Amino acid sequence: MPSQPPLPPLLTPYLSSQPESSLTLVSSILGATSNWLVLRFLHASLSASSNSNASFGLEESHNGSKKKVVLVSFLRSWEFWRAEAKRLGLDLARLAGQKQFAFVDGLSELFCAPQAETAATIAPPNAGSPARTTLPLRPQPGAVPGRGPSSVAPVPNNSYAARSQSELGIAKKLHFSGRGIGALDALERDIALVIQQQRSTMDDSDELLLIIDQPDFLLAATGPVMGIGATEMAEWLSALQQNVHATIVTLAADSPLIHNASTSGNQMAAPVESEHAAFAISLAHRARSVMQLRTLETGAARDVSGVLRISRGGGADDSLDERELLYYIQRDGGVTVFGRGES
Amino acid sequence: MAPVNLSHRRTHNLLLISKLLSLRDTASPLTLLQDSLEQPATPLIREYIRRAKASSCNSVDQLLSKVHVTLIGLETLKQPDGVDAFVSACRKSPTDIVKEVAAVYPSSASAGPSKRRLIIIDAINPLISSKRVDAGFHLPSFLGSLIAPTSPTAKADSSLVVNYHQDVPGLPQQNPYSPSPLSMLTYLATSVITLHSFSHILARKAARDRSLVAPVFGLEEEQEGVLLGRLDKLRGTNAAEGIVLELEHRRKSGRGVLEWYILPPASRFSPQQVKEVVTLLDDNVLYNPPMEPDTNADDEEPKSTFELGLTERQRREREGGRPALL
Repeated sequence: MPSQPPLPPLLTPYLSSQPESSLTLVSSILGATSNWLVLRFLHASLSASSNSNASFGLEESHNGSKKKVVLVSFLRSWEFWRAEAKRLGLDLARLAGQKQFAFVDGLSELFCAPQAETAATIAPPNAGSPARTTLPLRPQPGAVPGRGPSSVAPVPNNSYAARSQSELGIAKKLHFSGRGIGALDALERDIALVIQQQRSTMDDSDELLLIIDQPDFLLAATGPVMGIGATEMAEWLSALQQNVHATIVTLAADSPLIHNASTSGNQMAAPVESEHAAFAISLAHRARSVMQLRTLETGAARDVSGVLRISRGGGADDSLDERELLYYIQRDGGVTVFGRGES
Repeated sequence: MAPVNLSHRRTHNLLLISKLLSLRDTASPLTLLQDSLEQPATPLIREYIRRAKASSCNSVDQLLSKVHVTLIGLETLKQPDGVDAFVSACRKSPTDIVKEVAAVYPSSASAGPSKRRLIIIDAINPLISSKRVDAGFHLPSFLGSLIAPTSPTAKADSSLVVNYHQDVPGLPQQNPYSPSPLSMLTYLATSVITLHSFSHILARKAARDRSLVAPVFGLEEEQEGVLLGRLDKLRGTNAAEGIVLELEHRRKSGRGVLEWYILPPASRFSPQQVKEVVTLLDDNVLYNPPMEPDTNADDEEPKSTFELGLTERQRREREGGRPALL
């Protein structure tokens, strides 16, 4: 356990409550990544009802509604998120078993042919031997108490048996096939399916938070050649937004990706630059709050990792206070957040 | 600027902006708003909606002046308060949008004499740069079909307010000989309102007054990792809140009117207020601080920086006293 509270007190109001159908944009650059902030969002939503020992950073007043989280990650694997969350005292695999959390893997097999899935769907008809059909049935009763295999419900049992223990928390692996809007729609259906599964065990007062980690990777990997541009990505996102209570999106905002395509700059922007800039800026126009991470302008410092600026986006109301804070990530993963001039 | 000229401008241009925002006399069928991340257009759109509602509540002849507000949401997901009809245009083709917008308007037979209608598009950018829209998409005819529906029975005079995000980079032109969508829009619009943040305007003016380079904010800073620069440092002091509207209005005669206004934040006035809240930027005390009044005009002689500040009597005493001491 880190010595700091898992949720920095200064950030708690920004992390713990998201108004309905709001979009929060987290922008990061290479030197100041957004993982720690996403983990804090996860912690703020998930810890209150499950890990009572780790919830001292959060007020317990509005505990009537539970929060659920669906995390879609395009740039980091399940293993990464699980290990990092563990350092915060958050057991994602157990939460996935309790149907409080679902992980959608957009990284490992995004552009692979869906082998496990096709094998699973094709296997029962052609492999009609009784050995194949009885084998997968066996682990199911044995695994119930610890891990909760119900989180992998959509996946047929064959592939379940083939999976390693570490992949148990993954609700869905995304596959990109085809091109253009149709391919995006297929991804949207897959994610919406996971969201619906989470919803099925929800009360009315529960809130479902959708975190999409770096969908800009999808845009960069496909791009206008595949018939996908910034507008299509933004529409894809707002279609997903309609399924959930609130959405958090992380994006890269490195200088070449944002400024090369600006209207004042040169006209020689590459397609990926102009599409990325259009995507990021149009999301900032929609967002309620934009949390921008960057490094210190004055260079590296021993006790400051970067700057977090929280601004109102285009869809903001007056309830959001704008701030600029410094943060420091310690070696053990603990984060301190403080104002300029404080320590 | 001469004071006579300013008062003339004040009368005429305040009347003009009041007319435009309240949609009187359909002064502007197509208004283009140009916003940016530094100053989004949401407060101004809310002001349009507020006025449309306020006029329908307060006026005596309700039937005549009721304004029907339609919001075409390309970015908005939820129906905002005060909007009569909300058309979510996400993932829809332009022809479908036009059809739906025509459908949500109550048929004119039931609504009595000509009602006014306000159609707001929250952001036109997705429509312009969408790959879903085929090459045959013609922006002027799309906008035209929204304002003037083809069916002759609908005799509403509609005004269209279109918002354009200036900072979202557009796609490279398909046809190098056709004008860019933005120049098309500015050409078509009868009034163009560019939005600025008041605190930025003040900072630029302060720099200009000292002959310094004007500061830039947000994306224009070109600083790595910065999308938005708008940190309201003056927040809480209540001083520099508000939006600056740079209006370019084209009269029917062809004469253009250029004026800068300031719209105070919505918390400063009640939603039902009928009195005009917009003022000229030049009338603002923060932008144009009142000159220190000329204290005494007869004080013509140049003053030295070294001023003893003796009164006449003290000086006489001094001058008279010195020989006595010696």
